[in-house]
Amino acid sequence: MRFLPVTLLAFILYIIITGSATPYDIITGAITAVVAGLLFGRYLVKNPQKALNPARWVAMVAYFIKYITVIELKAHLDVIKRIISGETNPGIIKVPITVKDEYAKFLVANSITNTPGTVTVYMDDEYAYVNWIDVKTRDPDEARREILEEFEKHAKRIFEG
Amino acid sequence: MILTVIGLILLAIGAVCDLLGAIGIHRFNTFYLRLHAATVGTVGGKFYPLLGVAFIAAEQGLWPVVGISVLAALLVLVTTPVGSHALAYAASKARIVEMELDEFRGEEDV
Repeated sequence: MRFLPVTLLAFILYIIITGSATPYDIITGAITAVVAGLLFGRYLVKNPQKALNPARWVAMVAYFIKYITVIELKAHLDVIKRIISGETNPGIIKVPITVKDEYAKFLVANSITNTPGTVTVYMDDEYAYVNWIDVKTRDPDEARREILEEFEKHAKRIFEG
Repeated sequence: MILTVIGLILLAIGAVCDLLGAIGIHRFNTFYLRLHAATVGTVGGKFYPLLGVAFIAAEQGLWPVVGISVLAALLVLVTTPVGSHALAYAASKARIVEMELDEFRGEEDV
């Protein structure tokens, strides 16, 4: 069962890339997807029930849409303002993280780095070390609220529980 | 029609973000600040224009182009932070920038 999530994802990606749904494409796509799933499923998936839960996929798509519109727009405008005005107050601060799952941590770290203004320098089990373009506060809880609470909330909904 | 307009707007946003990112790289004087400017160039300057290309191609019915654009956009979004993170970690290890506030370095010294 562990190969099924990878197979489905590979098949959907194959159909998206080719951009056609002729029988030839569907057959080659299915064969490649099954091979890819059998090869990589055991490394990528620990719990097939969790990976196949549609609610998690819906949460992921909702988070993706919110991330590329609202969150990125706000961060871009802030950094563009700083590029023009030249006002910066950089520093590396320690922010506590609460997610435990590997994929969830990856999602949180990537979300932080992809938002202009914050870059993850290092991450261990309890803390993320974040380079922040404007250090508004040195209080860990307040920094957590400013930088990654939103990402963690969605990462938990998608990957944990 | 509406999809082409959205696509053109996204392409224009990408051009503006690329230009501002390039200006930022020259204006900022330390490594980490330049990294932030580069993020404006990668996410704003590559992810959104690729989505814009996908919208324009969808209007024309060129589905393979749509697929490859969307996939390239997603790949950019997943892989660029890995590079940024590696650069930031290496810079921190090599102690390139002297910063007043650096809690990561303080932790390392103990």
